[in-house]
Amino acid sequence: MVLRAMERRTKTRVMPKQAETEITLRDVTVRYKMAGGGTKTVLHRLNAEIRAGEFVAVLGETGCGKSTLLRMVLGQEFPSDGAVTVDGKPVTRIDARCGYVPQKYALFPDRTVMQNVLYGPENAFCGWMGRLLPRFWRFRRELRAEAAQLLLRMGLKAADFGKYPMQLSGGMQQRVAIAQALLMRPPVLLMDEAFSALDPLTRSSLQQQMKDLWMETKPTVLFVTHNTSEALLLATRVLVLKPHVEGETESNVLMDMQVPHTNEPLAVRKRTREFEQLREHVKQCAFRETETGLIAGATTAQVQEMPRRGDAAE
Amino acid sequence: MSAMSGLLELADIQGRPKRVWTQTLSWVLFALGVAVYLQFSIARHRENPDDRVMPTGAQLMAGIHSAVMDQPEEDDPLEDGASTWQRVTHGMLWKDTVASGERFGISLLLLAPAILLGLHMAVFPLAESVFLRFFLFFDKIVALSLLPILFIVFGIDQWSKIMLMVIGVGPTLVLDTYNLAKAVPREQVVKAFTLKSSNLDVAYRVVLKQIFPQVLNSVRLNLKPLALFLFAGEMIASTDGLAYRIALMRRHMGMDIILPYLLWVALLLFVLDGALRLANRRLNPWY
Repeated sequence: MVLRAMERRTKTRVMPKQAETEITLRDVTVRYKMAGGGTKTVLHRLNAEIRAGEFVAVLGETGCGKSTLLRMVLGQEFPSDGAVTVDGKPVTRIDARCGYVPQKYALFPDRTVMQNVLYGPENAFCGWMGRLLPRFWRFRRELRAEAAQLLLRMGLKAADFGKYPMQLSGGMQQRVAIAQALLMRPPVLLMDEAFSALDPLTRSSLQQQMKDLWMETKPTVLFVTHNTSEALLLATRVLVLKPHVEGETESNVLMDMQVPHTNEPLAVRKRTREFEQLREHVKQCAFRETETGLIAGATTAQVQEMPRRGDAAE
Repeated sequence: MSAMSGLLELADIQGRPKRVWTQTLSWVLFALGVAVYLQFSIARHRENPDDRVMPTGAQLMAGIHSAVMDQPEEDDPLEDGASTWQRVTHGMLWKDTVASGERFGISLLLLAPAILLGLHMAVFPLAESVFLRFFLFFDKIVALSLLPILFIVFGIDQWSKIMLMVIGVGPTLVLDTYNLAKAVPREQVVKAFTLKSSNLDVAYRVVLKQIFPQVLNSVRLNLKPLALFLFAGEMIASTDGLAYRIALMRRHMGMDIILPYLLWVALLLFVLDGALRLANRRLNPWY
């Protein structure tokens, strides 16, 4: 409710509508200049269309360009060739179209949990001068209530709201970081190995919460990970990238597959035979051959042959 | 036995000495310094009762009294019936402290823009291109070598000394702030932009707020260079100030005044440093 009010009041800062949002990467090539001369191609002629509301996990081994891809969607880096668009508009700078949850340094250390979460919506509501107006403080009260609700849902306690990030565990910090990004209601949420530094138990719990929150609001999520299980549990689509080999003409995309989606809890799903088969299949197709130095070819077709659960709802 | 075990614990990296031990030990070197001084002073006075290099405790006390209560030679004498307060506020130490403190305070104020400049250089690429190389070069200029130019431009009054301090410490503070701001993780800046921050929001509400405790520490570390430049200016050309008095007393071998002045300057800097440290802790509980 508060965010709706925010959208009404800030005419110039209206949040983009979710249904129109999609990410397009067309013939994207990224080359870096090497220190000793020459160039290194990280991404080569990458094409992908990510529809609104999709949860896309980007998988791949180190150096395959996962994070580079995410940084381009974010506007932190630009392709050497090709184009990246979000919501039909080219990405030219970092802006609030995309929410961002990095692996580390996700929170402002000088702000408490509540201040961290309120930071974005307050900025969106008005500028510095607007904070002198009484309506800003009314808005802030309402927003606090909404933020508190979200934080409680994320597993924090009311006593944690006044704590600084350094007083929280890594898992708690990531929960706050996700709440911080989600309270802005970004049409696109970019997560760069957001759970990779967490212990397995915290990771599982956060994965479930992330999945639940995504089911409710359905933002477009681009989730970079190197964990196959995590990608298959959370995502509706998995994009596997392989490192580019100089001189090669084909794209980095090794596999682009839809993941059968179910409503069962992730902890249960993880133990099903179908999930285990799917995971093994992705591992074999995507990683086995690259490990031996060979490049897998028609893996997409192989994956499409995978049996899907009868109760799956895409 | 317990004292012995306490002492042994102090040599243990994993030891957890009691507070009483740590507090006591923190005063040991002060006490040792005083004891060594007094020992040498007594020995010298035994050889030469008129020794002026190392005044005795009594001479030092008399010197302190004189510095606090007596007027400088260059001032008109006070009336006979002047109160103690009047004597103190017209005394050498007070007058010199106010004069030096004023220069010190103005310089600190003028150094505030240096912090902002360093911040802008780190955050805005254009400001970095314009200023960085210049400041890297300017920082290498020995500030004292500029003193003749400063005397010509600003005269021998207040401003030449203030500018010496600003020019001496400013570039270091600029570059230090620049380095601190550059060290803020890029993720923080990116995150701030995704949370609808403007450029100024990122610079002041994200980066400056995060580096502020370290900037304050940098200012604390620069207090001594600042005092050093102040003393250099005052010793060369001045009519008042703590360093002026020390230089004046040196001519008369007035160690009974010089030593209390040295300790007073150290105490002032120590208190200022402590105040900044306390402010840092209060203002930035997260640090």
